[in-house]
Amino acid sequence: MRGLYIHIPFCISKCSYCDFYSVYAKPELMDAYIDALLVETIRYSGMDFATLYIGGGTPSILGAERLEKLICGLRRIFDLADLREATIEVNPESAGIDLLAALYRLGVDRVSIGIQSLNEEELKKSGRAHNRRQALETVNAAFSVGFRNVSADIMIGLPGQTVQSLADTLNMLIGAGVNHISAYCLSVEEGTSFYRYPPPDLPGEDGQASLFEYAVGILQTRGFVHYEISNFASPGSECLHNLNYWRGGEYLGLGPAAASHVGGKRFRNAPGLERYLADPLSDREGEERLEGARKAGEEAMLRLRLIQEGLDMQEMAGKYGRNAIEGLEAKLNELVKRRSLARERDVFRLQPACVLTSNSVFIDVIG
Amino acid sequence: MCSGYPAFIIFVMNNIRNFCIIAHIDHGKSTLADRILELTGLIRKTSMDQMLDSMDLERERGITIKAKSVRIPYRAADGKEYILNLIDTPGHVDFSYEVSRSLEACEGAVLLVDATQGVEAQTIANANLALEAGLKIIPVINKIDLPNAMLDDCALQLYTMLGLGIEDILHVSAKDGRGVAELLEAVVERIPAPEGESSGPLKCLIFDSFFDPYRGVIPHLRVFSGRIAAGDKIMLKSSGRVFEIEEVGYFSLGLAQSEQLQAGEVGYAVALIRNAGEIHVGDTVVSADHSDVPAVPGFRLSQPMVYCGIYPIITSDYAKLGAALDKFKLNDSSVVFEKENSAALGYGYRIGFLGMLHMEIALERLRREYEQDIIATMPSVIYRVICLNGDVLMLDNPSKFPPEGQIDHIEEPVIRTRIIVPSDYVGPCMELSDAKRGVLVGIEHPDDKRAILIYDLPLAEMITDFYDRLKSVSRGYASMDYEMNGYRAGELVKVDILVNNGPVDALSYIAPRENAATRGRALIHKLSKTIPKHLFKIPLQAAIGSQIIAREDIFPMRKDVLAKCYGGDITRKRKLLEKQKEGKKKMKMVGFVEVPQEAFLSLMKIED
Repeated sequence: MRGLYIHIPFCISKCSYCDFYSVYAKPELMDAYIDALLVETIRYSGMDFATLYIGGGTPSILGAERLEKLICGLRRIFDLADLREATIEVNPESAGIDLLAALYRLGVDRVSIGIQSLNEEELKKSGRAHNRRQALETVNAAFSVGFRNVSADIMIGLPGQTVQSLADTLNMLIGAGVNHISAYCLSVEEGTSFYRYPPPDLPGEDGQASLFEYAVGILQTRGFVHYEISNFASPGSECLHNLNYWRGGEYLGLGPAAASHVGGKRFRNAPGLERYLADPLSDREGEERLEGARKAGEEAMLRLRLIQEGLDMQEMAGKYGRNAIEGLEAKLNELVKRRSLARERDVFRLQPACVLTSNSVFIDVIG
Repeated sequence: MCSGYPAFIIFVMNNIRNFCIIAHIDHGKSTLADRILELTGLIRKTSMDQMLDSMDLERERGITIKAKSVRIPYRAADGKEYILNLIDTPGHVDFSYEVSRSLEACEGAVLLVDATQGVEAQTIANANLALEAGLKIIPVINKIDLPNAMLDDCALQLYTMLGLGIEDILHVSAKDGRGVAELLEAVVERIPAPEGESSGPLKCLIFDSFFDPYRGVIPHLRVFSGRIAAGDKIMLKSSGRVFEIEEVGYFSLGLAQSEQLQAGEVGYAVALIRNAGEIHVGDTVVSADHSDVPAVPGFRLSQPMVYCGIYPIITSDYAKLGAALDKFKLNDSSVVFEKENSAALGYGYRIGFLGMLHMEIALERLRREYEQDIIATMPSVIYRVICLNGDVLMLDNPSKFPPEGQIDHIEEPVIRTRIIVPSDYVGPCMELSDAKRGVLVGIEHPDDKRAILIYDLPLAEMITDFYDRLKSVSRGYASMDYEMNGYRAGELVKVDILVNNGPVDALSYIAPRENAATRGRALIHKLSKTIPKHLFKIPLQAAIGSQIIAREDIFPMRKDVLAKCYGGDITRKRKLLEKQKEGKKKMKMVGFVEVPQEAFLSLMKIED
């Protein structure tokens, strides 16, 4: 199974915590960008994909027409006959009911909404362009036009966030019917507004940890499965496209700086929108092919993120051979002794208490 | 022996001058040596390179670590040809024994004083060593090209503080060469020619040595009587060991082989001496046939004053470290080392050094030239531990101390230090010395601008941060020198540091009882900032015996997670983790706690 990722690097404003590369959404720039993407697709013409994910940035900013042009183009050039999931990321301020209806008609069957919080204060302090009403309207609109898979991104550790405000956000979202929630701990990165002007009420690491653990509790009580470090879904509603990343699967990324994993090689496109527009077929960079034990280590690091599914060494042995995973297995057993992992027959899983400190586990697991 | 020979020898002896340049650090010794080499045509004026300091480290620190010498042919104003043997000396108090041996090889010394700084502590110490050795001193004021040169003040200081005649003082600028020609004439005129009978029995002083990978240890010799040539059987007085000389020669810019060395001369000898431990600076070389010739007085084995443990960062590098130390010792026979085992750090070595500077240089050379990845523990002095049962133990490692209950009292080595300081800074310097448990022995006022404070000070205080603090409280004006001055009983206790409830032997230290707790708290606090958070709580404690005197906890890490890891992040995140992993490798596992290297040195930087 192979995934297709389309990167949309446009935003209408910069959020206070965001250090991603994004560009102000000028119409002519967006027109040119769709054309460029369709030029890049030609390089991989005929390739088949099981999942499609249009992410960003803010893909919904493109509007129905451009998205139609893009998706129709993708269908024409690639083999999408067996597509099992098509996701688009939207933000409440740019995803009205008409756009959502158009997307649904185009075959998009999953929508991931950048909500972050339903607390007005938290939204304002984070520089988000929407409010609670718009966010809930978007959720409702998605369901009303036919979507059955609606995900919400929420943020842990926003300025002034409390367990109460977090609980309100989660409960309202679940009440509105979302069946998937991605909960990310905010990290203050260099170059962001939060880095330059840290809000005094920004929860610290310990505060974040408490908020996160609290969120896990609420979501589990409400029937959500904590299936990946930052992802929760009602059973059967996990994101297939993302699951493929964590299972070490292959994917193709299109757009500036988009990363790919094809034919065992990882590589990425050159960054920078301007450069991309000028030459969508310019050379790819950072090509890397990991072999044997190192590749297995990388896959173990990814698979252990899947808290329920875990890492099946039987499967790894089939994929890499016994020799390549011998060292890995010894390290995993050591981590079981340290009670960071649990082992059940051939499957290793992250101990729930270690989810928030999983880096210390992954450090031992990689190559 | 042919009849003309003795006359020839007398002729040569009369035209030899053996001298050295002595100075306080940074007063321009190496620059002057360069200028002399240029002026006499031995080297061309090419660059700023200082010929006598060849080791990189010496250049960086501006210190000459190992004495070296050079033979300079010189035609004096009287039209005669002279041989000037310039013997370089180390310029730091750690090496005062080496200095004294180099001086022993000379008849005269150029005493160099920086015109902008005046007489400083090591000026006095070195001048006194030279006077004790009976050398003729030529006082020279250097850096006269600088606008803030204080020629009169310096001259007065040389007179009042060292009793040197003002009329004898020469003025030079080693930088632009002014006065250097006059200085060379003074060397010829004022410094006596060596004496000694070339026809007598062989007697040489070893004043330095170096290691050549192909020819073994090569001693530097000053011949006092007799002559030495290839084929001679010589004996080392201190050990009675006999070697056959393969080659002798002079120091030109490299080694210049010659037929023989005779009384009054300075040169080297090759005798295939494989083990650097055989050759001791200060030892006497005699002929194996005349082994009853008395030794040059003043010989002693160099005594390490400061010890520290060194451990490979990666435990399996232990054997490699041992090999590196063996090699290092060939170059620097003054270090002593033996195997040591630390519960916290595993297998390593305990190394003794002549002093703190020596230690710093040696550790840096081990890291740089010998490419050893090492952790060095807190330096320690040698304590004399008097036990209740009457046993007296000399211990250089606090972790080897007997339990508190068995100790009657502890004595520590004391130095006598002379601090020269401008009158304005006498107050702060005395406060500092008192705080560092110094006992004032006397104050001298050589002139109305400066004072000399004489203190007895625990060596342990000296090796922590006394010198840095002294410089800082005197705005850099104070200078100091010291010599060992026996042992003194102190109210000393051993403090153990416990990390995660286990004592870390490498962090134990000896402290005066009255500030053991303060230091303990400071160290614990520093450790709490140095040791990263772990998945569990780590108690940090300082204890005297079973009594806890300080405690702080490192709370468990609650969040260390890569929240987002999607297609575009995988390679970047993996590399991030790899980097974290590299960082972890540099830490030492102590029990279940990863302790970074800095932790083992943090005690050094703690102020009371």
